[in-house]
Amino acid sequence: MGGMKKVLSGFTALATIASVAVPAVAQADDVTVGVLVPLTGELGEFGKIVAGSVELGVKQINEAGGTKCGMLRTVVADTAGSAEQAIREATKMIDTEGAVALLGPTSGAMVALVDLAKRKETVVMSPYAGTITLNEIGGDYIYRTVSSDLGDGEASGLWLKEKGYKKVAFLVQNEESTISPAQVAQERLKDAGIELTDYVIYNPGQPSYQAELISVLANEPDAIYLAGGQESGVTVLKEAAAGGYGGEWLLTADLAVPEVFDALDPRILNDKAYVEVAQADKSLPEYKAFEAFHKAETGAEPGPFAANSYDMAMLVALALEASDGCTGAAVNSMIRDVTEGGEKVSSFADGKAALADGKDIDYEGASGPLTLDKSGTPAGAYQIMKAVDGAWVDEKFFPASAFE
Amino acid sequence: MTLFLQFLLTGIVTGCFLVLATIGFSFTRRVEGFLNIAHAELLGVSAFTTWGLNKLAGWHILPSAAVGIIVTAFLGLAIGRIVYDPIRRFGPAVLLITSVGVSYAIGGVIDAVIGTGIRTLDIPLATSYRFWGLRITDYQLLVVALAIVASGSLALFLNKTKTGLAIRAISVNPELAASRGIDVQKTSRATWLISSGLAGLAGVMLSVIATLSTDIAFHQILQILAVAILAGLGSLYAVILSGLIVGIAMDVSVFWIPAGYRPLIAFAVVILVLLVRPQGLAGSKSS
Repeated sequence: MGGMKKVLSGFTALATIASVAVPAVAQADDVTVGVLVPLTGELGEFGKIVAGSVELGVKQINEAGGTKCGMLRTVVADTAGSAEQAIREATKMIDTEGAVALLGPTSGAMVALVDLAKRKETVVMSPYAGTITLNEIGGDYIYRTVSSDLGDGEASGLWLKEKGYKKVAFLVQNEESTISPAQVAQERLKDAGIELTDYVIYNPGQPSYQAELISVLANEPDAIYLAGGQESGVTVLKEAAAGGYGGEWLLTADLAVPEVFDALDPRILNDKAYVEVAQADKSLPEYKAFEAFHKAETGAEPGPFAANSYDMAMLVALALEASDGCTGAAVNSMIRDVTEGGEKVSSFADGKAALADGKDIDYEGASGPLTLDKSGTPAGAYQIMKAVDGAWVDEKFFPASAFE
Repeated sequence: MTLFLQFLLTGIVTGCFLVLATIGFSFTRRVEGFLNIAHAELLGVSAFTTWGLNKLAGWHILPSAAVGIIVTAFLGLAIGRIVYDPIRRFGPAVLLITSVGVSYAIGGVIDAVIGTGIRTLDIPLATSYRFWGLRITDYQLLVVALAIVASGSLALFLNKTKTGLAIRAISVNPELAASRGIDVQKTSRATWLISSGLAGLAGVMLSVIATLSTDIAFHQILQILAVAILAGLGSLYAVILSGLIVGIAMDVSVFWIPAGYRPLIAFAVVILVLLVRPQGLAGSKSS
């Protein structure tokens, strides 16, 4: 079913690309970077943020004179959330467009692209793929600017413990990206002696989740940890409220979007729902500089994973600048080097100047320090946001040091 | 015990939704002679039409739903006339494969028009009623009521009206019915209008109870197929029984086994029943 549907949904993608990407005519000395994101489907909102933020990064890089390999040029394609579509588009980007790096795939697509990335010697990087599968197979051509899902689980567990709940129920969508952090959070609950009343794994795409909620509501938990997508999550929230649930919620990142308040009566969420999301430390000067740039360029606050997406463009450009070649292999050979053990830089222009002076650099990203572990993953920081008056507002920040 | 009865009650509601979603599909299979895979996407057409009128245009849910059903009925009729009628002579296999293509086309257009994210109607939150320790919402009651009304109306239409009797005649033997003076074209048009209108009704209920994303309608096709196959791909009454069996089996199973296996239960029931009755609950061996 996926194939044709995805082809047709590509029409939407084309329209969206026109709005987020500045079309660039390929020059002989351009370096092509592929932006491979879901522009349609449930995760489309995130894909647009990623594509837009990569474009901002590329704009800033090109305004600083581009890399030694030439100006960066982006090509954008829609994965529609499908790994199959991601492989097809990635192959096209590498073989036809000559992309040296592919930025933006979601967890499922990242895992599917591992073989292709290594075979074609093309760096693939994600700003939001937290899947723990990459903890094992990432690190060579496969990178990310966001921490692993295990960190989300740690942060959620820490928050549930801090709130002092006595009884918590877990409702977890049947996907690896939601089950992995839920398992970690569940362990932290056990360590803290909090009673786990239910641990329900459900399948998305259902009209109703009443059957899954029956036991959960009957056990009257203080809070429900809901690790689900937007479609299932909103239905669960509605049905639990209709079922008389009056406790609190801890939601996961997919629900950290303003659209949730349009889809639901905000009273269901206000003052009793929290959402956990991997987020840059907003107090860092690097983030503030990015935020100001984002506002100046778009007139809007950066959305979820915007800083992580911007950092991907920076890492690719700095790795190209630092390496001897202009290929994906060149990017792969230097991407770690530019994130650790040298002069701290926080912009492409500064990094380029330091490299020109023969210095080693350590890029401090808008999303935080980007020192990559052996799986190509940085340490994460997390934000808990609270639903207040129909919007998500910052409640508690957990820096990476909170988990040491 | 109350908990178990709650699962049973929820299962009945799930079953009634499955009846609504499947009855038009089975009707098409019976009369037109093929599995119209695009039926599930028609639920999406209705759901998003209802959503557009209700949320974007600010209409009340009732006229929005009525227009959603009518638009879907006529779209189904148009697809039947334009796409399926010209290739009917190639047989059910070609029609089935074509319907998969139609499904992709409708899904793609919905993707293009609706875009990303989730959608919900501008309607009040469901109200829960409690009796004997059990809980049911007004929207769940509506699903049950509509399943009863839709099934009853269709049964009356097929048994008591001239067009209904003509449809039944054609579904049994099209050549004989045509030779006896039944207008096959007219009867086919009525079939498409009714089956697509029923998809429209199910789509409205989907938009009322679910959170809409562009792929949620297609997600229903496997369960629709499960119910239709269990019913024997034909009898209206068997669809009602089959929908209830699948719905109750899926939801009651959560009482004993993890909810993640819920969809599996639908097919386990189908396989078990077909082992005993290969023709389905009420289908004849020829169907």
